[in-house]
Amino acid sequence: MSEVTTITEPGAAIDAQGSLERWIQSRAEPELLASRRREGWADWLAEPMPTRRMEEWRYTDISGLDPEAYSPVSTTGDRARSKEDLPGPVREVLDSDRKRSAVFIQHNGTVEHVRVDPDLAERGVVYAPIDEIAGSHPEILERFLFRSDVAQSERKLWALHTAMLSGGYVLYVPKNVALPHPVHALRYVDEAGGLVSSHSLIIAESGAEITCIDEYLSPDLDAESLSLNGVEIFGAENAVVRYLALQHYGRGVKHFSMQHANTGRDSTLNVFNVTLGADLARCDVSAHLLGPGSESEMLALWFGDRDQRFDHHTLQNHAAPHARSDLLFKGALAGQSHSVFRGLIRVAEGAQLTDAYQTNRNLLLSDKAKAVALPNLEIEADDVRCSHGATVGQVDETQLFYLMSRGLSRPEAERLLVLGFFDEVLSRVPLEGTRERIREAIELKIGLSR
Amino acid sequence: MSEHLLEIRDLQARVADGGIEILRGVDLVIEPGEMHALMGPNGSGKSTLAKVIAGHPGYEVTGGDVLLDGKSVLDLEPDERSRSGLFLAFQYPAEIPGVSIANFLRTSLNARRSEEEGDLDVFAFQKLLNDKLGLLQVQPSFAARYVNDGFSGGEKKRNEILQMAMLEPSMAVMDETDSGLDIDALRIVSEGVSTLRGQDDRMGVLLITHYKRILGYLQPDQVHVMLNGRIAHSGGPELADQLEEMGYDWLHEPEPEPVG
Repeated sequence: MSEVTTITEPGAAIDAQGSLERWIQSRAEPELLASRRREGWADWLAEPMPTRRMEEWRYTDISGLDPEAYSPVSTTGDRARSKEDLPGPVREVLDSDRKRSAVFIQHNGTVEHVRVDPDLAERGVVYAPIDEIAGSHPEILERFLFRSDVAQSERKLWALHTAMLSGGYVLYVPKNVALPHPVHALRYVDEAGGLVSSHSLIIAESGAEITCIDEYLSPDLDAESLSLNGVEIFGAENAVVRYLALQHYGRGVKHFSMQHANTGRDSTLNVFNVTLGADLARCDVSAHLLGPGSESEMLALWFGDRDQRFDHHTLQNHAAPHARSDLLFKGALAGQSHSVFRGLIRVAEGAQLTDAYQTNRNLLLSDKAKAVALPNLEIEADDVRCSHGATVGQVDETQLFYLMSRGLSRPEAERLLVLGFFDEVLSRVPLEGTRERIREAIELKIGLSR
Repeated sequence: MSEHLLEIRDLQARVADGGIEILRGVDLVIEPGEMHALMGPNGSGKSTLAKVIAGHPGYEVTGGDVLLDGKSVLDLEPDERSRSGLFLAFQYPAEIPGVSIANFLRTSLNARRSEEEGDLDVFAFQKLLNDKLGLLQVQPSFAARYVNDGFSGGEKKRNEILQMAMLEPSMAVMDETDSGLDIDALRIVSEGVSTLRGQDDRMGVLLITHYKRILGYLQPDQVHVMLNGRIAHSGGPELADQLEEMGYDWLHEPEPEPVG
């Protein structure tokens, strides 16, 4: 292993236990985080690299992934003094006239802005950077951070994410507090060649109700960057959690998002992924239905073009009886883009009276685009209702001619059909402002707005 | 008048990729403001003519021409024909779940505007839409529904008329707009067409129909009968009465060709 001489500077390569140790020390963070980091690094070294021989990685080859090829993104510790200090694309999102209960802005490894509605802060709502929480509310991290049941196939990257953690937040909402507006986190990366590893830890105590948005942005980057992202959601009894991940990175980014949502008794969970950006985006989305009577809805939309690769893996993990889960993932692919959907409904032996549904639909807009759909069931209980289905289809020529006969050019007609195809998913988003934000991002991606 | 609104000259067409020949030399001229009815038995080529005029990719033109305002449209894509003023009211309008009528209409209108003009202002669009809905006596909630998704036959045809009202074509081809409608729907659709002709007295209409019924509501200037891919007979409105009484058999059929 090569000797790394400068490690305190942001951008220093990581390559060995020694340099990681010094990197941890340079961050001067609480022991709680440092020890999790060390455990993560040990796991990273111990776990085998996923290869295409593993079913979960059959269509996405990451065997060449080398964290040494990236530099950890810089962390300056400076908050933005005014809006003008924030990156332009972030300001644009903030400027749109939408109400938010709280805002979090991370630029590379630096948390530049956090704001929580003071009334909510008064009622005990906590929304703060993870390292701050390690000092102020260590008990929250002790109890929840990196506590999800991560599948074997995910462990390697989860370990790297843990070891390299560079930012993220904790949202804690106390019992029976309902947030009137969404909590919106924006993460912006513009360090080419960087490695950003950001975490979202979301806790809704019993009866709490929240809508939480994670938005990922970057310009096109000329050196490949790696984004490792972990999301853990814990909804206690009767809580309602709506979570949206809107990923519209520029090109030059490899994005891995590992999301674990855990439902308490009678709680309601909605996890929505919108995948538009990056060269390669892999999302592992798991809903662990741990509480009886809980309900999970998983939604996703993606639009790929050029040579983008999107890979969505899902788990509806029914551990408790009387729970219900529904999944609807829809993707449209143009250019030479490829997508994979692999979904598993797992019903444990004791999870009787489970209702679980899973649907994946793909729309191909070009001959060179490709979609693979692999729905799966694994059922050990005997009194359940489950169904799954997947389709891959092309644009309907009858619809296309109809639209063109009204003056829409072929590309315009195709775009409108894509939006129509997506509407089934989009219309399930209850908050109009959130729905509009997603629609805007999609329209921008597919070029409908001029 | 030097140019006709629509001129069809010896038009021949077949199903794309070398399929059977359906239009075998159609000639038809429509002047601004005129309404012509095109009648004929099933399989005579009426609907094919409508689709070929609109540029349906399922057919290929093997001879002749279609001119709008003196210019051939055969080299134009369907969307370019629409933007030049042609409109086809479909016999079977496509269902497009997820796309609202309002969104569809706004996109269609914007497609007609130049880069410099930019998109139609949201409020201007809404006013235009409300005006046309009012004109056709359609509930405003109609425009929020998905295009033809789960519509009754009458609702689909009403949607065609609404689109026609919004796009204000110079020449409308209406393909069996009256088929499958009950008497109330038929009346509503006919009144819609009359209203639009009243708004624009230069708009031409080619009304393709299988039944004389609609001609009780709309009085065409001329009636044509299509048989076996050609216009076999043309006359005034009285021709429709003759057809009603005597059917098509008394008309001389052009010699049939073997169908392969």
